[in-house]
Amino acid sequence: MTKTLKKPYTIKIGRRLHYSRKLSILTTFFALILAFGVAGVFFAIIGLNPLEVYSYIGGVFTSPILLLESLKRAIPIGLAALGLCVAFKMNFWNIGAEGQMYMGMFASTGVVLLHVYYGLFPDYLVLLLMILGAFFAGGLWCSLPAFLKAKMKVNEILTTLMMNYVAMYFVDFLVYGPWRDPKGYGFPLSIPFPDYSKLTIIFGEFAYGGLLLLCVTAVLVFIILRYSKLGFELRIVGESIDTARYAGINLSKVITLGGFIAGGIAGIGGLTIVSGIIGRLRPRASPGYGYTAIIVGLLSALNPWLILPVSIFFGGLFVAGDILQATLKIPGAAVEMYQALIFLFIVIGEFMKRYQITITRGGDS
Amino acid sequence: MEELVSLRGIVKHFPGVLANDNVDFTLRRGEIHALLGENGAGKTTLMNILYGLYRPDSGEIYVKGRRVEISSPRDAIKLGVGMVHQNFKLIPSHTILENIILGLKEVGLIINYKKISEEIKKLAESYGWRINPDTYVWQLTAGEKQQVELLKLLYRDAHILIFDEPTSVLTPQECRILFQALRRMAKEGKGIIFITHKLDEVLAISDRVTVMRKGKVVITKETNKTDVSELAQYMVGRPVLFTIEKERSQPSGEAIIIKNLKAFNDKGVLALKGVDLVVMNNEIVGIIGVTGNGQQELVEVIAGLRKAVEGSLIIDGTNIVNSTPDKIIELGVAYIPPEPLRYSVAPNLTIIDNLFLKAYRYKPYSNGIMINWRKIHEKANELIKNFQIVSPSLSAKAKSLSGGNLQRLILARELSGLIGERIPRLIVAAYPTKGLDIGAAEFVHKTLIEYSRKGSGILFVSEDIEEALMISDRVAVMYDGRIISIFRPGEIDIEKIGLMMAGVEIASTS
Repeated sequence: MTKTLKKPYTIKIGRRLHYSRKLSILTTFFALILAFGVAGVFFAIIGLNPLEVYSYIGGVFTSPILLLESLKRAIPIGLAALGLCVAFKMNFWNIGAEGQMYMGMFASTGVVLLHVYYGLFPDYLVLLLMILGAFFAGGLWCSLPAFLKAKMKVNEILTTLMMNYVAMYFVDFLVYGPWRDPKGYGFPLSIPFPDYSKLTIIFGEFAYGGLLLLCVTAVLVFIILRYSKLGFELRIVGESIDTARYAGINLSKVITLGGFIAGGIAGIGGLTIVSGIIGRLRPRASPGYGYTAIIVGLLSALNPWLILPVSIFFGGLFVAGDILQATLKIPGAAVEMYQALIFLFIVIGEFMKRYQITITRGGDS
Repeated sequence: MEELVSLRGIVKHFPGVLANDNVDFTLRRGEIHALLGENGAGKTTLMNILYGLYRPDSGEIYVKGRRVEISSPRDAIKLGVGMVHQNFKLIPSHTILENIILGLKEVGLIINYKKISEEIKKLAESYGWRINPDTYVWQLTAGEKQQVELLKLLYRDAHILIFDEPTSVLTPQECRILFQALRRMAKEGKGIIFITHKLDEVLAISDRVTVMRKGKVVITKETNKTDVSELAQYMVGRPVLFTIEKERSQPSGEAIIIKNLKAFNDKGVLALKGVDLVVMNNEIVGIIGVTGNGQQELVEVIAGLRKAVEGSLIIDGTNIVNSTPDKIIELGVAYIPPEPLRYSVAPNLTIIDNLFLKAYRYKPYSNGIMINWRKIHEKANELIKNFQIVSPSLSAKAKSLSGGNLQRLILARELSGLIGERIPRLIVAAYPTKGLDIGAAEFVHKTLIEYSRKGSGILFVSEDIEEALMISDRVAVMYDGRIISIFRPGEIDIEKIGLMMAGVEIASTS
């Protein structure tokens, strides 16, 4: 027949049946190298020496002061990522950690304002109430899309993403409007938090108190996922909704509760921003920690123990971004770009882990 | 006789399995060649290699004496090799004609529908099939869909035809029509490979038979020089008992009373049109019927997974219709659904997770908040032993288990009284032996009978008439959303049951 015709190359994508841990770690490592490589090309294009840029980035992780700064940033990121561990475990693709953090900031600031203006409770209870408030606000913010998904199969990716903007602009409204500090010279800021409402009261340095909070939450998340009834149910729901239904699991209860816990932990992440890093509420208080948390969660393979180191790495990237902007006058967009590149290559790496790509030249018949 | 196909020394590895171990196979012009073997024997792998879906690790393929490389189904079709799969690959919302044209390569820019339509009609008539090419595929019965699949191949001049368990979806009558067509094709000089694990089909239709076991060819023989028991022995490697010792039980009290049950299927069509049925304690009631006559909907309504629009289900004086699945589980209803990997097992979770898929939330395995993994581990080890589940470890993923072991896992979970420490009041088993080899199916049968002796009422849905007759105390025929006849095994002969399944004859016995 058409024997003389050359067969074209064909690309086949097949699922890998299994992949080793070694391959998985290697792939992630390789993805990071590639991301920095490609980012380097861009840095070179905008007229910078990539090696100089990298040395600034590397410097973040070798200087104790900057490392402490990275740890501060790692705390909200890590908390939001821990919440995502719970959500992703049940296959609930929560893109809304950012919004849930804003709701956490809103609630904790609300508690502070109530206390300052009305003095309803003693000083030592304020921080505890802030944590509770942040947890509930973030949790409710996330349980709404979870409930809609469970009851009406509304796609959670859309609802959680959209609700981020609602939350963010709601906080904008508050600080530009009713919650603006009367002594703040018209700046859109809340009043500064009194000391008893700041996380610095635990160990003096916010990073230490935050670290404690992060570690305790990681242990709790681990226990929930591994040893609780709810954790077992989340795992089954994540594996297959049909199987969960068959097993007699109350889907709307489990999904809504799972969403509540996930959002609640992100809400506490929001609290650490206003009550730790900044010390007051201001618009756009989160530079996208909630989105970074998605990368952190996926990169940690939803393992609570890995969240801490991975968040410190990404926290460090934020610090590095600030330093690059200040010293090398790199535009903020370029910094965001190289963070996005890292994300992109990690996603590609995850794909390569799960699928095998073979290129063959069709056999001749 | 000319050899159409010759496979020589085919070897194919899958991770952890040697699916084909140095297999030789020949197909002659004008013969029907049965390929017999249990599930996992390597039959389908071998045929997928011939059809270009897999490439062999080593070995040679000859078609009409010429060495060929088949690297895709497209190559296979060019060589005249066609395959009718178990699951039809037709598009329901298109017509027969459109489905056939879809697979054609040389249609040009403008399709001459009229000409192709005429040709298809003629082709169908030559096999005695009445087919209107403009009918939509969703309107067809399983048998007709199979005919369309076959027409697709014949229209493309395929003359090496592979059938993968073609009778599994057919009524006895449809089988007969298929067999007639197969004989005719053989007479025309085509070669037919017939994959099956049913011995009677081998004897009924084939000229030669090749038996495979564990990836190897055991024997190739003229069919008229062998018999059922010899083939069975080749197939499983040991003599098989074809009957199960079973004393008829003495039913006492109703396990479930189903009254005038009505429900829709997924497409919104009324699939249960008023089902009435009683299952007594100690009794196995077999439900037979062609797949798609409401069996699936019936078991789902009982398990609480599908809403009924009318009727009642009474268990122990309580009407459980439209209760939630957990309430029904707590009442002691065990449900073994069809296709374990679709939802009764979470394939990526561990064996221990799957064993406790339902019991994890009840005492003593949970206190309502935390799970007592120590208790669960103890019990799991016991279940593994009692139900002879062969697995590398408790924390291996369920998908690593073979079909038989998976079904044992499900039986262990559903029957062993994990919830409330008692045996199930009612066991609903839908196609529990489908796809299992003889040994594993035998284990399922024995287990069900054992539990009926212990007092469980059992509703056993099967598409295998002989299996249902063998283990049931009473058999109900389901057709078009109703139970149209109930009888005891032996009261009605198989041929008549077949007619009832096809809706042709409605018996007046009850």
